[in-house]
Amino acid sequence: MGADLGEEKDERLAALAAGGDRGAFGALVTRHRQAVYRLCWSATGNAADADDAAQETFVRVYRSLPSYDPARPFGPWLRKIAWNCGLSVRRDGIAGVPRVAEGDAPEAVDPAPGPEEAAAGNEERRRVAGAMAGLPAELRMVIVLRAVEGLSYAEIALAAGIPAGTVMSRLSRARTRLLAALGGCS
Amino acid sequence: MDCRETQTLLTAFHDGELPAADRARVEEHLRGCPECGALPADLARADQTAGVPDPGPAYWDRFNARVMDRVEREADGPRVAVLRPKHGWMRQQLRYLVPAAAAAALVVVVVRYGGMNPGVPTPTVPPAVSERAAPVLPNERFATVTREERDRLADRSLPAGNEEASRDRAAAPAAISVPSPPPLMTFRGAPAGSPPVSAADGIPSGMQAEQKKMAGAAALMAEQQVAGKAKSASGMRIAKEPSPGSPCELARTLAAQERWREAEAAQRACLAQDRSAPAQEKGLVFLAELLDRQERFAEADAVITEVDRQFPQSRPLDLYRRQRPMVQKQPMAVPVTR
Repeated sequence: MGADLGEEKDERLAALAAGGDRGAFGALVTRHRQAVYRLCWSATGNAADADDAAQETFVRVYRSLPSYDPARPFGPWLRKIAWNCGLSVRRDGIAGVPRVAEGDAPEAVDPAPGPEEAAAGNEERRRVAGAMAGLPAELRMVIVLRAVEGLSYAEIALAAGIPAGTVMSRLSRARTRLLAALGGCS
Repeated sequence: MDCRETQTLLTAFHDGELPAADRARVEEHLRGCPECGALPADLARADQTAGVPDPGPAYWDRFNARVMDRVEREADGPRVAVLRPKHGWMRQQLRYLVPAAAAAALVVVVVRYGGMNPGVPTPTVPPAVSERAAPVLPNERFATVTREERDRLADRSLPAGNEEASRDRAAAPAAISVPSPPPLMTFRGAPAGSPPVSAADGIPSGMQAEQKKMAGAAALMAEQQVAGKAKSASGMRIAKEPSPGSPCELARTLAAQERWREAEAAQRACLAQDRSAPAQEKGLVFLAELLDRQERFAEADAVITEVDRQFPQSRPLDLYRRQRPMVQKQPMAVPVTR
């Protein structure tokens, strides 16, 4: 059953989940959780809020499934919810914790690193992530959706609710700022 | 095509979004211009840095279960029955009534203890008022003061960023009271002798000033959550004398009960409420520990980084760093930073 679900299209899984199939919903979560997390991280700029927003995204998705129209593509619908959740968490400041400062990037978790190893290994990653964290959320979003998720300008425009031309200009600014932050030419 | 036009189109070229004709022209220019010819490599390098820190396999292992847990809790029905009725009409009404009741409670407290009639004790205190608004089983109260529940209270079907929802969320913590936990934690120097106030008690002598602070704290929390701003002077005053049942105290109590997730939520509310530097410093360290207890090490790292940035050479952080390996190995042990 799990294998079958894994091959189902998103829209079909969503329809099954809306009918109460928890397995279908779980398959959707598994399939999209990393992309959702990355988008939420783009909106919030830190791991803690990204986690909150990603969790909230799927809860909202579950709650909204009865109103979802399977004739429409699932991906853009999901991304819209994820982005809104990310912005909502950031705006609400529910966490009460000051946002991770620009430049202070959350560390990725290594399965079992020693302290020294983790510190050394994370240095470059921290620098790179710091450059990302230093971008405004709107620029992070487009660069993540393009460079990481591989979405087209049209898809990004749909998720962000902006014209395709704005997507292009934001991508250009994002890349320029990333290169500048990393000490490269622009 | 000149360099200027090429560079204008370069982003779309790099992303494969240019029409074929423009693409050919850009390619032609890049072949003949060494300066522009180097730019695509820069764009590719920028893309390589565009990653998002991955929380790691342990995080993903638990992700679905955490989502499903929240979904199940929603599906299982309300733990706060009155706040989440089955009928839509009633739910709609409560969306407004509950915050309104909370606001009314604040008004009552401020009017009664804010100078209008300061000398007359009365059994009507915020917990009592809020209980009328939201009759919650005593043993259930801790569990209900989670963010999810507050979100439910505010009805998350509202559009994100809706001002009204924000106000509801801001009012919700004030509406849901908690029993006064024993002052277990001494980390932030809270006064151990603050007499608890229950619905059945009167106002003990000397509590009036504290009642004013409670009202002030609730108002401040609402203000902060709506305006996103904090006033350190007010925060400092509250930090010195936390109210019984305040999120700070609740966090410590929940942590002592090893209810880490709920303690974390309360501690975050505490940090939002009290923006004074000492409270933030110790509170963030405590939050880091709560995250470590849940094995959310990357998030704890982020919080610790923030403490480091804001409070260089922080002694509480230094102490916690020494104990952290033990905490990470024994996530269920008693809190060390309380």
